[in-house]
Amino acid sequence: MALLAPYSKIPELNTATILLVENEEKVQSKLADAIVQREKDVNVNVRLACKLPLPVENSETRPRVDLVVFIVNLLSERSLQVVENSLNHLRSDFFLGKVCFMVTDARCGALAQERLLSVKKLAASHRCPVICAEHQTEDGISMAASRLLTVLKVSAGLSPVATTALYLSTLTRCTVPSELDED
Amino acid sequence: MANVSNLPGLASDASRELLESSSSGLNSRSLRVAENVRKKGETNQFQLALSYLSNVQEGTVVRGNDELERNLVVVETVALCHGLPPDAISLLLDLALSLRAGGVTCLRILKFLIPASVVPQEAIVRCVSWLCVGKMTINAQVLFLRWVLTVFDLIDCKDQLRSIYGFIFSFVTEENLCPFICHLLYLLTMKEHVQPYRVRKLMDIQAKMGRQPFLMQLLAVYKVFRPELVTLSVPSRMRTGFKNYNSTWKAALSAVQKKNRPEVMADLNLSVELKGKSTSRKRKLHHLEVPGLNSAFGTNSERKVFRLQELRSFTQLLQNIHNIELPAQMGSLLGSSLALHYLDCVQDESAFLRLNFWLGHSLQEEFLLCPEDGGSDSLSEASAFLSTILSSQQFLQEGFFSTESFLYKFLSVWDGSLLRSQILDLLSHIPLMSSHYIRMLVFEPLIQLYFTSNVFFKCSVIECLNSMLLKWLTWHSVNPLMECLDLSVNSSTVTMTLSGFIDTVTELVSFVGRLATEGLRLENCHILLLNHTLNFYETVCDMLVKYGLPLVVMPPAGVFYPALLATDSLTVDRLGYIMYRYRKNLTLAKKQEQQNEQAFHISRTTYQDFNKQLVAMVSCLWNSKSFLPGTNNEIDEHLLIQSKVPKYWSRFDLVHHPAFFKYAIEFHQKCWPERTCVDLASIKVGRYWSWYMEFLFCQGFDGLNDFIQVNTGQGSSSSSS
Amino acid sequence: MNEEARAILQRVLRRLPSRKTQSTLRAWGCLSAQQLEDLDYTQPKWLLLENLISKCEESRLHLKDVTKLDMVYHIENPNQGTWHAFKLTEAEDEALSVDFTQFKEMFVAHLEEVVQHVSIRIKKLEDGAVWIRIAWGDNFTKPNHLKPTYAVHYLQTPYVFILNLAAKHKPFVYQALVLSTRHVSINEAHLTGRSLTAMRDLLMKQYQQVFPNQERTLKERNAPPSHPNIDKEHAEFAERTHQMACEAFGDGTVPKLETAVYKLETRYRGSNNNTLSDRDELFRGVVRFSSPNLLESLRHCVSTGMAEGPVTPLLSSITQKGRNYFVIAEKVPGATSQTPAHKT
Repeated sequence: MALLAPYSKIPELNTATILLVENEEKVQSKLADAIVQREKDVNVNVRLACKLPLPVENSETRPRVDLVVFIVNLLSERSLQVVENSLNHLRSDFFLGKVCFMVTDARCGALAQERLLSVKKLAASHRCPVICAEHQTEDGISMAASRLLTVLKVSAGLSPVATTALYLSTLTRCTVPSELDED
Repeated sequence: MANVSNLPGLASDASRELLESSSSGLNSRSLRVAENVRKKGETNQFQLALSYLSNVQEGTVVRGNDELERNLVVVETVALCHGLPPDAISLLLDLALSLRAGGVTCLRILKFLIPASVVPQEAIVRCVSWLCVGKMTINAQVLFLRWVLTVFDLIDCKDQLRSIYGFIFSFVTEENLCPFICHLLYLLTMKEHVQPYRVRKLMDIQAKMGRQPFLMQLLAVYKVFRPELVTLSVPSRMRTGFKNYNSTWKAALSAVQKKNRPEVMADLNLSVELKGKSTSRKRKLHHLEVPGLNSAFGTNSERKVFRLQELRSFTQLLQNIHNIELPAQMGSLLGSSLALHYLDCVQDESAFLRLNFWLGHSLQEEFLLCPEDGGSDSLSEASAFLSTILSSQQFLQEGFFSTESFLYKFLSVWDGSLLRSQILDLLSHIPLMSSHYIRMLVFEPLIQLYFTSNVFFKCSVIECLNSMLLKWLTWHSVNPLMECLDLSVNSSTVTMTLSGFIDTVTELVSFVGRLATEGLRLENCHILLLNHTLNFYETVCDMLVKYGLPLVVMPPAGVFYPALLATDSLTVDRLGYIMYRYRKNLTLAKKQEQQNEQAFHISRTTYQDFNKQLVAMVSCLWNSKSFLPGTNNEIDEHLLIQSKVPKYWSRFDLVHHPAFFKYAIEFHQKCWPERTCVDLASIKVGRYWSWYMEFLFCQGFDGLNDFIQVNTGQGSSSSSS
Repeated sequence: MNEEARAILQRVLRRLPSRKTQSTLRAWGCLSAQQLEDLDYTQPKWLLLENLISKCEESRLHLKDVTKLDMVYHIENPNQGTWHAFKLTEAEDEALSVDFTQFKEMFVAHLEEVVQHVSIRIKKLEDGAVWIRIAWGDNFTKPNHLKPTYAVHYLQTPYVFILNLAAKHKPFVYQALVLSTRHVSINEAHLTGRSLTAMRDLLMKQYQQVFPNQERTLKERNAPPSHPNIDKEHAEFAERTHQMACEAFGDGTVPKLETAVYKLETRYRGSNNNTLSDRDELFRGVVRFSSPNLLESLRHCVSTGMAEGPVTPLLSSITQKGRNYFVIAEKVPGATSQTPAHKT
C-alpha cells in the first residue's frame, strides 16, 4: 500500500493543501467551507477524506498535502479507531510537524474525557498538536478554521518569517498530562 | 374558574378561617368554611374544592371518582397558575401523605404542590411523622423528599425541623432514600447535631455503600463542625455531590414565582445589589432554577435566626451577623453584595465549603459535561454566570477553589474562543501555586492554544498573564514581612515560602518571555503583540521597587531587539522607560545587598544581561554604533555590506531610526527652512543635537527622556523639573 | 345512555387532544352541526363530557353510536398501541374475487357462529383498508366495549394488522379471517410496531426502494462540494456506501419502525472466556435495537460510515422480509460474529 508522502510532489506557488480526515463527515464539510472562505491571501485547497489510505485513482490530481488533520469525534469509539488505523498510511516525515489532531465534543461527559486522554496520548507519541473544537457553533467552527490555517501556513512554508513546521510543532505538540494527584 | 383573578385575596381570607377553626374537628371546620363562603354569596370553587379534599376519608374510592377528580383538577389548576397558599399546602400534604386518597393521588398531589409564598414548617414536620408510619411506597417517599429539597428555601422557619433532626437521620439507613436524606441533613446540620454515634452510623453506611458522593458531602460538613469526630480524610476538592432534584417542579415553580414577583419586588428596593439587578443571578440553565434569595415572604417575629435573604441593609447585616442562616442554594449568595459582605467577614468554613461545592458542581455540569446543544441563549447565560462569579471574586478579592479547579480542566478542552474573555479573566484570578503545578495545569494547555491561535488571542493571553502577575505581586506586597507566606485560599491552605513564590514568578516571567519571543517571530513583530509584551515587562521591571520582591528578570533578546528596532516611536519610548526602571530596581537591589546580607541576591548574570542590553541600546540610539564589532548586536560585516545600506551603523540612531525619522525631518525643516535637500547628519552636530533631544522630549517621549537622562546625563529641562 | 356508553365516551374524550376534539366529533357524524356548534371545546374535559352526554341524550344516541366514535378515534389515531402483523397464506382461487360486502357478511357470520356475545363493526375506508372492531363477551357476559380488538385488512392482500388481541380470542379471529378471505391458513408475520402505516408500507413495499441499477438518481443527490477548492477524496466511496445503505433500508422517508429484536439461540464464541465457550448448552440472549425511527438510524449509520459496510443480512432483512423479530439459531453460519454497532 502506497504511503502518503509530504514531499513527493512539487509545491504550487502560493498554495497550501490541507487534508481533513474524518470518519463521519460531521464537521468536515463545515470546517472546509470555513477554511476556504476565511483565507483570502493564499490559495487553500481542502481535501476531504473519511479515512486513509486515499484512493489511488486520485493520486495524480491530488496536490502536495501540507497538513493532515485527523478529526476525532469523542462521542464515537469508531472515530478514534479509524484515525488510529489511518496513521499507518502516512510517511513518517509527515510527523515532522505536518499532522494535527482535532477533537470535537470534548466537553460531553466522562466518556469523552477518557477518549480525549487516549487521543492526547496518541498525539503525544506522534509529536502532534491536539486542537479542541466547538463544532456546534458558528464561532467555534471559525475559530477552529483559523487555528488550522495558522498551522497550515507554517507547514506549507507560507509564513512570512522563516518558521518551519518542525519548529512550530515543538511548541504546539501535545503533552500527556501526567497523573495529577487530584482527587 | 371565574374567581381566579382575585384569588390571592380570597385564598388568604379563607385560609385564615381555616386556621381559626383548626382546633375543631376536620369536618366542622370545612363545613363552616363552606358555609361561610356560601353566605358571602361567592362560589369560590377553589375553596370548595379544598374543603372537599380536606373531607376525604380513609378508604374513599378513587378510581372513577369524578367528584374527587374534579376537585383535584380545580386545585391543580390554581396551583399551577398561582401557587398554593401555606395552609392549602399543609392540608394537601396531609391528604397526600396520609394516603387517604390512595397512592396514585398522593403522587399526583405532590407533583402540583407549588407554593405561592412559603411552606409552613409544621406541615413538613407532620409529613415526617407520616414518613415514619411507613405506609407510603418508596416512589412516593422519594418524590416527597425531592419536593422538600426543592422548596427548602421556602420553608418559613427551620427550627422545628432541626429539632427532629434525629428522626430524619434515622432514614439514612434506607438505601433508596439515603441520597435525599443526606442532602436534607446537609442543609439542616448545625454544630450540635454532629454526634459521635451519627458519625459512626454514616461510616457504617459508607462501608456498605462505598464512597458515595452524597455521604462524603455530609461527612465533609460534619468534619467542618467537629473535625475531631470525623477522622476520614475528606478530599478538599470534591467533584460531585448532590444532584438536583427539582426537575418535576422547576418550570411551574419559576412561572409562579415570576408571576408573584412584582409584589415582592416592592419590598426589595432597599436591598443593596451588586449590579442594580434585584433578581438574584443564579443559574437559570439546564437544571438549576432554584428558589432564590428574592423569595422572601411574611416574616415571623418569633424567629431567632435571620435569613440572609431578608437582609435589606448593611446595618441589618451588622446587627444580625451572629445569627444569620445561610440559604439552601449557596449559589444565590453570588448575586447579592450583602451576602458577599457576610461571606467575607465570617470565617465560616461551611459556608465556603457549600458555596464551593455548589459552584464546582454547576461549572462541571454546565461546561464540562454539557449535553449536545449549542444554543446562543444558553451561551449568553453561561457568560453571564461566569461574569457573576468573576465579579464576586473581585468583590472578595480571592478566587474560589472550585472555579480554579474547573479552569484547569476546562483549559484542556478549550477551543480558545468559547467565552474567551470570561475564561481569561477568571484565569488571571488564580492564586499562587508551586511552579511545577502552574507549568502543568496552566502553561502546558495555554502554550498549545497560544501558538495555534491568531495574534489577538496571543495578545489576550499575554494580557491575562500580566494581570495574573500583577495580582500576585499586589498580594505579596500587602504581606511583605512574612518570610513564610501563608496563602490561605478559602479552606485549602497552601503554604509557600518566599523562595517558592519567587520560583513561581520566575516561571511565569520566563514563560511569557518564551511566548512573546516566539509569538513576535510568528506574527512578524505585530505591533499590538509587542505592546502587550511591553506592558508585561513594565510590570516585571518594577517588581523590587514597587512590590518589594527581590527579583529582576531581563526581557529576552527576542523581545528587546524587536522593541528597540521597532518602526513606531511609542514602542521605543516604552522600551526606554522599561530600561530606566530596570536600572532603578537594580540600583536599589545593589544598595540593599551592600547594606544587609539579604537572603535573596540578584544574580550576577542579571546585571550582566542588563548591562549588555543597556550598552546595545545606548550605542544604537545615541552613539550610532549599531551592528559594529564590539557591540552586543554585532552582525557579520559581509552580510551588512551585502545589504548595500550605506553607513549601516548609524541607521538606528535617534535621527535615522525609522521610529524617529519623521521627527528628525520635522526638526530639520524647522532648523533650516531654506534648505531644499535634507541632510539629517547635520542634526548630530554640536548644539543641534541637544536641541534635537529637547525637541524629541517635547513630543512626549518621557520614557526615552528618563532613559537618556539617567544613562547619558543628558535630558530635557522640561522633564527634569 | 347507559354507564358503559358513558365510560367509553369519557375514555375517548380523555385521550383526544383538545384541538382535535371538534374534528373527531364531526367525523363521527352522530351529532348535528348545531349541537357541535353549541359545545365549548375550551372547557375542562370533565365539563365538556357532561355537556356532550346531554347532547347525546338529546339525540337519543346509544351504545352502538358511541362505539362508532371509538372506532373513529382509532382510525384517526392509528399509532396508539402495538400492532401485530399477520400473513394469510395459501390463497384459494376465489380469494381474488372477494369483495367488501361478501367479506363483511362472511366474517360476521363466522365469528358469531363460534362466539355468542360479540359485537362487530366493520368499515371500509377510502384507501381500501377494512377496519374491524370486535368487542368480546363470552357465554354469560355482554361484549366488553372497553377492551375491543381492532383488525385492519386490505382486501386482496395477504396482510392483516391486529391491535389488542387476547390469546383466547386468537383462534376465533384466525378462523373468521381465513374463511372470509378464502385462504387456508394464517401466520404471524413477526412484525410489530406502533405505527400502522409504517408496517403497511413496509410489508406492501410502499416506500421508496432502491435497486442496484438505480445509481443515476443517487449521483444527482450527492451534491458536489460547495467550493472549487474543496475536493472529496472518497466521493465515490461515499456514494457507494450511500447507495448500499439505500438499497438496504430504502430512500427518502422510510417506514417508521421503533424496534428490531434478535433472539440469539447460539453457542458462545469468544476466545477469552473458557467457562462460557466450553459449555454445551446454547448461550441465549436478546439483542434489541430501538430508535424513534429505526430504519432511518440504520441507514444513517451505514451511509455516514459509522458502521462498516456491507450491510449484514441480519439488518437488511428487516426491509427485505418485512420482519422485526428474528430468532437466530445455531445453524445460521456466522450468526454470532455479526454484532453490529448498537444504535439507539
